[in-house]
Amino acid sequence: MITRRQLVLAIPALGLGAAAFPRRIRAAQVAVQTFNGPMADAGEVYHPVTLPSKPGAKPSMTDAERDELEHQIHCQCGCNLDVYTCRTTDFACSVSPAMHADVMGLVAGGHSAQEILAAFRSVYGERVLMAPVRSGFNLLGYTMPFIALGAGAIAVAALMRRWKSHATVVGTPLSPHVDATESELAALDAAVRHDR
Amino acid sequence: MILVGELSLWVALLMAAWAATVSFAGGQMRRADLIESGERAIYATLAMVVLASLGLWTALLTHDFSIKYVASFTSANLPKIYTITAFWGGQSGSLLFWALILSIYSAIALWTNRTRNRELMPYVSGTLALILVFFLATICLGSNPFERLDWIPADGRGLNPQLQNPGMAIHPPNLYLGYVGTSIPFAFAIAALLTRRLDAEWLAAVRRWALLAWFFNTVGIVLGMWWAYVELGWGGYWAWDPVENASLLPWLVNTAFLHSIMVQEKRGMLRKWNVTLVVSAFLLSIFGTFITRSGVISSVHSFAQSPVGKWFAAFLVVAIAVTAYLVSTRLNDLKSNAQLESMISREAAFLYNNLVLVGIAFSVLWGTLFPIISEAVRGNKITVGPPFFNTVNIPLGLLLLLLTGIGPLIAWRRASVANLRRQFIIPVATAITTGLLFFALGVHNLPALLSYTFGALVVATVVQEFYKGVIARHRMYGESRLIALPRLIARNRRRYGGYIVHLGVVVVFAAFAGLAFKREFDLTLNAGDSRTVTDAWGHRWTFLSQGISRYNVLNREVTAIALDVTRDGKPAGVITSEKRQHVDSRGAPTFEPSTEVGIKGSFKQDVYVVLAGVRGVDAAEIRVTFNPLVRWVWLGGALMAIGGLVVMWPQADRQRVQSGYAAVLKPQHVPERIPDLVGA
Repeated sequence: MITRRQLVLAIPALGLGAAAFPRRIRAAQVAVQTFNGPMADAGEVYHPVTLPSKPGAKPSMTDAERDELEHQIHCQCGCNLDVYTCRTTDFACSVSPAMHADVMGLVAGGHSAQEILAAFRSVYGERVLMAPVRSGFNLLGYTMPFIALGAGAIAVAALMRRWKSHATVVGTPLSPHVDATESELAALDAAVRHDR
Repeated sequence: MILVGELSLWVALLMAAWAATVSFAGGQMRRADLIESGERAIYATLAMVVLASLGLWTALLTHDFSIKYVASFTSANLPKIYTITAFWGGQSGSLLFWALILSIYSAIALWTNRTRNRELMPYVSGTLALILVFFLATICLGSNPFERLDWIPADGRGLNPQLQNPGMAIHPPNLYLGYVGTSIPFAFAIAALLTRRLDAEWLAAVRRWALLAWFFNTVGIVLGMWWAYVELGWGGYWAWDPVENASLLPWLVNTAFLHSIMVQEKRGMLRKWNVTLVVSAFLLSIFGTFITRSGVISSVHSFAQSPVGKWFAAFLVVAIAVTAYLVSTRLNDLKSNAQLESMISREAAFLYNNLVLVGIAFSVLWGTLFPIISEAVRGNKITVGPPFFNTVNIPLGLLLLLLTGIGPLIAWRRASVANLRRQFIIPVATAITTGLLFFALGVHNLPALLSYTFGALVVATVVQEFYKGVIARHRMYGESRLIALPRLIARNRRRYGGYIVHLGVVVVFAAFAGLAFKREFDLTLNAGDSRTVTDAWGHRWTFLSQGISRYNVLNREVTAIALDVTRDGKPAGVITSEKRQHVDSRGAPTFEPSTEVGIKGSFKQDVYVVLAGVRGVDAAEIRVTFNPLVRWVWLGGALMAIGGLVVMWPQADRQRVQSGYAAVLKPQHVPERIPDLVGA
């Protein structure tokens, strides 16, 4: 059996040994903690989104509608924000202004919101949308929480039914009387009065 | 001191490993000496972790840039308060901070149970020691804050500017206190499962810890929202970012547990469910940490990718496997004593409430993981942002709010028609009247309208409960109503503290509903230019640019705009917004520029101004957002925290005995004159 003295001596010795164990030192690689996202260069992640203008094109939407549309497009700089919010929040980002310019060009070319979103999707893929399109596999994403809740509700209902039937058979029937003796009730009353 | 700190970490690891080994062995062999040795080793681990923490703080405050962590997260010109808080500003420091809190909590748990729960304690200390071993091993071998550089830089990189905010100084500690707080109930649950002592004993021991974790988690989340709102500049306080979601998950599960524990205490039901919730809250806390550290999911909050993520993944897998095994092999011991008698009863209402809370937790988890699932199944990267989470969670949130109003009105065991009529008539009438009133006032957004309607139901329910209690005391004791109210709360803190939390929830929901009336404007202003815009209330706001100013202060170069603001033609003050470029002590830029938002707040709405950029010399690009009811989010959060404090506040033994006696009586059979003082 290890004595207390042995333990007291052994643990610091092991600690010193472990601390002296050679460790890799990577001098140049300083850990970076990001809170605005990686802030990728526009050159790395930006891809132009263009469509030919419609004949006799007029702007297809108001500025407010365009801003609303930009709320549905995911800025690709790595910030997790939409294009509108990113470009109006952080002037360090060069991606969202470029994507905004594409939206402006498409709006000026007379394209509708759906056409603009489709154009962005064809260039960047589905990740450019702030929420998955509601079709195919994505429907599972939207419905699964409700399916799970429904399944939970069914399980709870089944459990309750079982409990209820079980309670009818073996449970203690509801007593029409107070579940305490007269003396207990008197003691409770006295205690409550004393407890003012 | 720094060397002592570094060595202490290793000693702490060995101490924790010793504690785990001898505690479990002592429990199995029923050897008091081993059990005592294990407990002492936990106290020794605490001492060692405190030494290690002091070592890191010493390194930070003495600007020892030979240490990689110090060079990465501080600079010579960083204000002292942020030099101190840089302790948890980076990965390895925050892991050490986690270990510090866990060792403090563990020591407190052991100390407060030194004469109680003795059958459970060897396994409690063993489990806590194992968690400590994991964290200390991760720190020592995977992310050591004392790692040295092979050269000494003249200055450090500095702390991320967005962490240089009072909110960020206190938000992470609160969140960690919440996360780590789930470890203690988890340890008790494991101990109860191992010893098969699954009666109410372990529940009584963990309730206060679960409350503590819930309290700090609540405060941490609200402070995080406040920090995001004032510091990040994107105009909101909740973006459904994976890391935000990760903090919400244990909170939701813990909230469910704090409700369902009442059913087990009063009726001996939901034993399996309660164990599952306690374990899940802890596992979700670890999952949240895994998300933050692994880089598996893209997040604005993520720490740099590191191998630590794999450690957390492995720990998570092992913890899930062990707890699943323990629960599955003890199902017989987890059978309930009592059975449900009616679907319209308080215990059934708690079940519905739990179902929705866990449903929301599932939907948040599902949405957070869906990009990974989609990529795995379809090879297709997708983004799951706020539109998805709002679509899924708004209906569930409204359902939860509705249940918050209904639950407290239903009696335990079985509610009679007369009881329901008596209890519901005023709250339902209030809710319908409120809904119609808000509709007439122009609130036609359905989720917002339902939010205010259900909110009114909850408020009326709570007011009715308080009113009945006060009147009962007034009649019984002749107390004035002003005296009766605090005494009523003091007599049954759990019940009435809980109602205060419910009021806080209503206030937060009302504030969320206000987002339906948010207005944003994107303006470009030269010096002397003005623009007028209209908010959701119909007020006309004019913003006149006083021009751009540039100056240096402390550790930053500032570009600022000042705007003269008028509302409906009347002066409404000046709002300034800044862009800050932080620099090191040699004047070299350290991070990307950060935003300092200008906010003119009131209880009605915030006018939120962000200087997005400067075009040319003097053309300011600004975003003006009218954010309705934001202050109510902070107020609601404070109310929830106050309610939590009321519930946690210790009761005198005399009171505890009496409320315990009252609680075992059947509510429907208690004499008519004291109905509202019985049961919670």
